[in-house]
Amino acid sequence: MAGLGRFLVRRALTFIPTLIGVTLLAYIIAFAIPANPAQAWAGGIKASSKVVASVIAEYHLNQPWWDQYYYFMKGVLTDTILDPLNGYRVMSFMLTRFPITFELTLFALFFLIVLGIPLGIMSAIKKDTWIDALVRVWALTGVSVPIFWLGYLFIFFFFYMMGWITIAGIPYPPHSITGVPVIDALIEGDWVCVWNNIARFTLPGFTLGFAGVGVIARLVRNSYLEVMSSDFIYYAHMRGLKKARVLTHTLRNALVPVVTVLGLQFGGLLGGAPITETVFGIPGMGRAMVQAIFMMDFPILIAGTLLIGFIYVTTNLVVDILYAFIDPRVRF
Amino acid sequence: MKESNEVYEKSLLDRLSDSIIYLLVSFTTPFDKEWKRRNKSKIDEWKLMLYALNRSPIGLSGLALGLLFIATGILGPMIAPHSYDYSFIVATGQYNKYYLAAPGTGGALLGTDDLGRDLFSQMLYGARVSLVVTSLVLPIGISIGVIIGLISGYYGGWVDESLMRFTDIFLAFPGLILALAFSSALTDRLTMAIAYNKYLTGLISTLFGVKPNDAINISPILSIVIALWVVWWPGYARVTRGLVLQEKNNVYVEASKALGLSTPSILLKHILPNVIGPILVLMTLDIGGVILTEAGLSFLMGAMMKIPDWGAIVQHGSTFLVQGKWWIVIFPGLAILVSVLGWNLFGDSLRDILDPKTRRSIEFKIKKKRK
Repeated sequence: MAGLGRFLVRRALTFIPTLIGVTLLAYIIAFAIPANPAQAWAGGIKASSKVVASVIAEYHLNQPWWDQYYYFMKGVLTDTILDPLNGYRVMSFMLTRFPITFELTLFALFFLIVLGIPLGIMSAIKKDTWIDALVRVWALTGVSVPIFWLGYLFIFFFFYMMGWITIAGIPYPPHSITGVPVIDALIEGDWVCVWNNIARFTLPGFTLGFAGVGVIARLVRNSYLEVMSSDFIYYAHMRGLKKARVLTHTLRNALVPVVTVLGLQFGGLLGGAPITETVFGIPGMGRAMVQAIFMMDFPILIAGTLLIGFIYVTTNLVVDILYAFIDPRVRF
Repeated sequence: MKESNEVYEKSLLDRLSDSIIYLLVSFTTPFDKEWKRRNKSKIDEWKLMLYALNRSPIGLSGLALGLLFIATGILGPMIAPHSYDYSFIVATGQYNKYYLAAPGTGGALLGTDDLGRDLFSQMLYGARVSLVVTSLVLPIGISIGVIIGLISGYYGGWVDESLMRFTDIFLAFPGLILALAFSSALTDRLTMAIAYNKYLTGLISTLFGVKPNDAINISPILSIVIALWVVWWPGYARVTRGLVLQEKNNVYVEASKALGLSTPSILLKHILPNVIGPILVLMTLDIGGVILTEAGLSFLMGAMMKIPDWGAIVQHGSTFLVQGKWWIVIFPGLAILVSVLGWNLFGDSLRDILDPKTRRSIEFKIKKKRK
């Protein structure tokens, strides 16, 4: 396990510079590129120079860049920086929005696992049948379809024509424990609220996960076929093992690469969330960021970018470590 | 030679693809008369690849859709029945008839939007935008990635380490969010740059097929282009670095070093031609990705878009979807889907053809008759 320990230390060490780099990049986008954020925050071209000056002083915009960067990072991390447009504390505002996005991602991930993996296994077992063709078509359309369009297609059918779903509001349970509505409702046993959450998030989750389901299914299929043709499965058949036993042998080995891809997909789903949230009107982090763009509300944009970047990097780290544990052949 | 005593059963398509290759190869003759003779085996290889493509209906249909995308992009603004800002309401004065008119209403093939603008014409202009963005993003984004990958892989050591950490930072962001942040921050700067530059205004209005006084409204699209440059290179840097690492231990690299060639010359003239193949395939697979990401960004920035762009049209039409006016959302989305699907189909079969593992089986399918 010495190799694993060294790998973990090395991986953790590269994690910190990457995070600093991510924050620097976020800073450059927010404060180095825009022409004159202070003017916009003060109210546009007609803003009085006094207000503009006070905004500049407040946000250290007349200071050198390292001072701005330090001020901004400290402000976001200690939650003292205020949104110039509405006075919210930027980080706590984003942290109230985050659980919604998290719930959406959970639903999408649910479809990836519950739909993607079985579909992949079935298409491998029933190779070259209609189900294999379905998975192939799904994988291809999944990466080709604009998800906002898919979302509107669903809204048109299930909301406008059928009237089965709602596309407004978030059903919160009375008390907040973790902040994620569906988990809170489950903990409290508030089944009506759980059902409302399912009704609200199923379609957006499916839309967000649509491409991923195809990708996962194809991956599982290929990896399953590869394992099925390996010697030890042939040997297991020869020993006269029952079909179900052979299946568990195959599955255990075929699902190893899926862990990595699921981890990477999680980051991808977070990244795709702004579009899905905009389409379905879900007040999550992504939608807050999109709205911040039109308001030139850069602190929000940056706090969000930072949060997503952080989660993304952490997920990758966790996946790497997990993979090293699951597959003993991998030692870095 | 082995090839010479093997005759392939050629279909009409094979003859066509042969003549396309002859045409392309003949362009080299004015510059280098010997090129054709020296690279005969390479040319035969290309012919064989196209035979394989000709036998894959999926790849062919993908290619057809891709070519349709390019043709629509180039010709779109010219064949559009109306200009992108032409309004039936303004032109005819019939508000009730042309406000969100259904497809097929007098002159509006695919219907109109709430301002009475012809959806079909708007989509044709949008095709141009999509094509121009794709052809601006890919070559430059990939060049940046390839150059960084070449340097990183060739030098190794701390250069490699620092460049790869730099790449990791960009890979640590989900592409869409990074591009969104960049394009929103850049739009204002670009508007100023375009507004005060006469030549830029002219160039942009010709490129995108819009009126010169609308050139400043292109700035959100241009900022999307720049944002996509920023997010598109890291993947290519990684891939190129990996390829260079395999390639740089070859004897020919050693030999060119011993000959005292300069590093840029070794990198660009000797290593690059040997690693470019997989990169080009990756690029074909990526064309669809660029179209899709661009549509997604322009959808999110919809309200800032004053020039028809497929994503922005969908965003604009989404307001009226819950009133049952489906055409403004459905048709542009369908255009995106078909274009992206075409490139993905083509890229997939191209990868199969170029992949040595699957290549053999495809070549086997091409019937050979021995003399």
